[in-house]
Amino acid sequence: MAMDLSKKKTLLQPFLFSAKNRFFPENRLPFRTLGVLVFSLAVCLVLYKISVRVVTYFHSQNELGIILSLKIFQMAWITMFALLVFSCMVSAVSTLFLSQDNEIIFAAPVAKSDIFFMRYITTSIYTSWMMIVFSIPVFAAYGTVFKAAVFYWPLMLVSIIATAATATTFGIGLTVVLVNLFPAKRTKDIILYLSICFGIFIYLIFRLMRPEDLVNPDKYGHFIDYLSSLATPAAPYLPAAWASNLLSYYLMDREIDFLVTALLIITPIAFFFIGEWAMERWFLSGFTKSQESFGGYRKFFSRGKYRRSSLRWIFLKESKLFLRDSAEWSQLFMIAALVVVYLYNFKVLPVERSLFEEEYVTNLISFLNIGLTGFVVASLAARFVYPSIGAEGGSFYIIMASPLSTERYILYKYIFYIVPFTALALVLLVVSNRLLNIEGPMWWISVITGLIITWTVLAMALGFGAIYADFKAENRAAALGGIGAILFLFSAIAFEMAIIFLGVSPVYRLMRSWLRLGIMGANDLLTLSAWILASLAISLILALFFIRTGIRRLEESST
Amino acid sequence: MIRDKLDNTKSYTMSEQVAADYVLVVKNLTKKFGKFTAVDNISLNVKRGEIFGFLGPNGAGKTTTIKMIAGLLQPDNGSISINNRSLANEPKQCKQDTGYIPDRPYLFEKLTGFEFLQFIASLYNLAPETFARNTAHYLKLFDLEDWRHHLIESYSHGMRQKLIISSIFMLEPPLIVVDEPMVGLDPKSGRIVKELFKSHAARGTSIFLSTHSLEIAEELCDRIGIILNGSLRALGNLKDLEVEARLEHSDLEEIFLELTGAYELQDIIAALRSA
Repeated sequence: MAMDLSKKKTLLQPFLFSAKNRFFPENRLPFRTLGVLVFSLAVCLVLYKISVRVVTYFHSQNELGIILSLKIFQMAWITMFALLVFSCMVSAVSTLFLSQDNEIIFAAPVAKSDIFFMRYITTSIYTSWMMIVFSIPVFAAYGTVFKAAVFYWPLMLVSIIATAATATTFGIGLTVVLVNLFPAKRTKDIILYLSICFGIFIYLIFRLMRPEDLVNPDKYGHFIDYLSSLATPAAPYLPAAWASNLLSYYLMDREIDFLVTALLIITPIAFFFIGEWAMERWFLSGFTKSQESFGGYRKFFSRGKYRRSSLRWIFLKESKLFLRDSAEWSQLFMIAALVVVYLYNFKVLPVERSLFEEEYVTNLISFLNIGLTGFVVASLAARFVYPSIGAEGGSFYIIMASPLSTERYILYKYIFYIVPFTALALVLLVVSNRLLNIEGPMWWISVITGLIITWTVLAMALGFGAIYADFKAENRAAALGGIGAILFLFSAIAFEMAIIFLGVSPVYRLMRSWLRLGIMGANDLLTLSAWILASLAISLILALFFIRTGIRRLEESST
Repeated sequence: MIRDKLDNTKSYTMSEQVAADYVLVVKNLTKKFGKFTAVDNISLNVKRGEIFGFLGPNGAGKTTTIKMIAGLLQPDNGSISINNRSLANEPKQCKQDTGYIPDRPYLFEKLTGFEFLQFIASLYNLAPETFARNTAHYLKLFDLEDWRHHLIESYSHGMRQKLIISSIFMLEPPLIVVDEPMVGLDPKSGRIVKELFKSHAARGTSIFLSTHSLEIAEELCDRIGIILNGSLRALGNLKDLEVEARLEHSDLEEIFLELTGAYELQDIIAALRSA
């Protein structure tokens, strides 16, 4: 037993030492770690404040408010559990079967159970730490609003950790079995599709069920309809429902259900031993399969003849790499869901209930929609455009060693991304304007400014992507956690807000005269033109500055 | 047999090029990483049609020098000119004339081998007829024909190395810069690569070759530069190096060890034998 423990500790050493070196570098003060800590605390605090407001709102509505808020409590637990299972499964395929250190570890004289233990600990921490940290303020808000007794807090912490442990042990065990049925890469694809579908499902359900109507029973024809809309399945067999039931019971009656508590604690331990058994039984055949096929034995015949055009081939390369990588193209489903929900929001906006004239309100929303569209574009650019240079990875030397200049390479990338992003921005702007019945000058203002923002944000994404290019990132999504991505998002949003704020006065003056009198005054037109020209100038300066800095950084950096 | 295959390729010929003696001229090249000087004031040149071997122990500065010649790293000091053009002032033209084969074949995993060749050809603006002729030739030469429509992610390390070598020879550049060419190659492919170097050099292509294999350097190289701690320790043909090492009738291994710290090695060998 002592022998086993020492092996387990040894296997965890790379993880522990890497974490120590990363967060507490020698001979340096851990400013970065402190920064991350302060930032996380600030986010937790904001989350807590928002959660308290939301829960208080639901809780105070009417006699059904408490039931409703506890229903949301249960849904939050189930969602957290499901997300953890999926993310753990995706990570487990990589850590257990595709990890680069596998050959060293599996060739060493260590038992499979020790490897399972090490992979379980590391994968669980990687996949669940964020969910645990950020779920604490949300569930803590319930304690505050319901004025919970002192035992709520330790009970809540135990429930969160036990539920996360159950989700990760279940996820890893299931992955070991699945990889035995399909090759590892195929399994990863399947889990990825399933998790994306689940994410889209949750996203659409949450939005399309119109939660804002739940606190307004008048919207329902009969009280029974309202009650049935609240009657989402209680899911008594889900560990997440146990946690929510345990805490709800304590919040309401201040009593601890020890049976459920025991169930919560025993389940992850039981799943762990089942997973360990599955590892002993199926791991080797799964690992063998994962090495036999990487899904690359399919043939792809090039139909087009070779033609001399580096622009054409940069386009082809980018699109082929995107469409052949399931982790990339499957995100298109998510974008489609995002667009549907985005536009749906405009369809169900209760503008007719506004205190002001409908036309004023719709025009104001159309103006603010420029910023919203910009925000969507910025987040998608952070996901797809920002990491696109780093995603060249070790192959980037091919570009840099070729006669294609860095300027031209960036320009081609820009042209490649400008087409789909312009289409997306136009869909968001034009369709929402249509749903709001916007015509006349506001239509043109929103479309022109929206496009200026889109094109500038794209240039900024490429610029930041070049400045902070991470050629060693495992995939595009991994680059999102870097400082460059955060700086890009902050800068892009600051730029958008600046453009919108600068436009408030000229647009208001022009639209007031247009809506009241049906004319556009010369002065109003002049100030509007000045705003658009100033926006153009700011955009050009920012775009050129970031692109040029990015090009310089790429040319200076070692590849 | 291999020679017969190689002779089918129309390659770069001297008559089509500017009649200059040197394809590559490196002057006082220096590169520092923080306080560490990786390359310290190196000067060398490579003649047209010459195979130049660049040797040195691990961490001596070989790859840094090669990356600067390939235009992947900016030197802190000194100059590089390729085909009488300054790499700093005319990078595009210099890169057009240089083919770089790295030691680790990172390629675009989700492209097929053939698509990768098309991509490289496009970057270097290769004529369609040259592309058609050379891809067919090199894919056949390296037994990659049956794999050309498979994704690169399914290729072995050696197949990737062969693909990248094919992609560079396909371009017919006047200068080829190679970092450890034989890593991962099977004996047959290794032999093909050696013969390719020789035949292309005979037709006027200059090859700047970095290797740890002294047998390869001895067999292929017209001149050799030995780099140690960032500085050029010795430069010349085998005879010149013998003189430099104060050895007579020695092979390259003895010369190399002598010039790069043989005494140290002798101590280590003695310690190992007595252990």
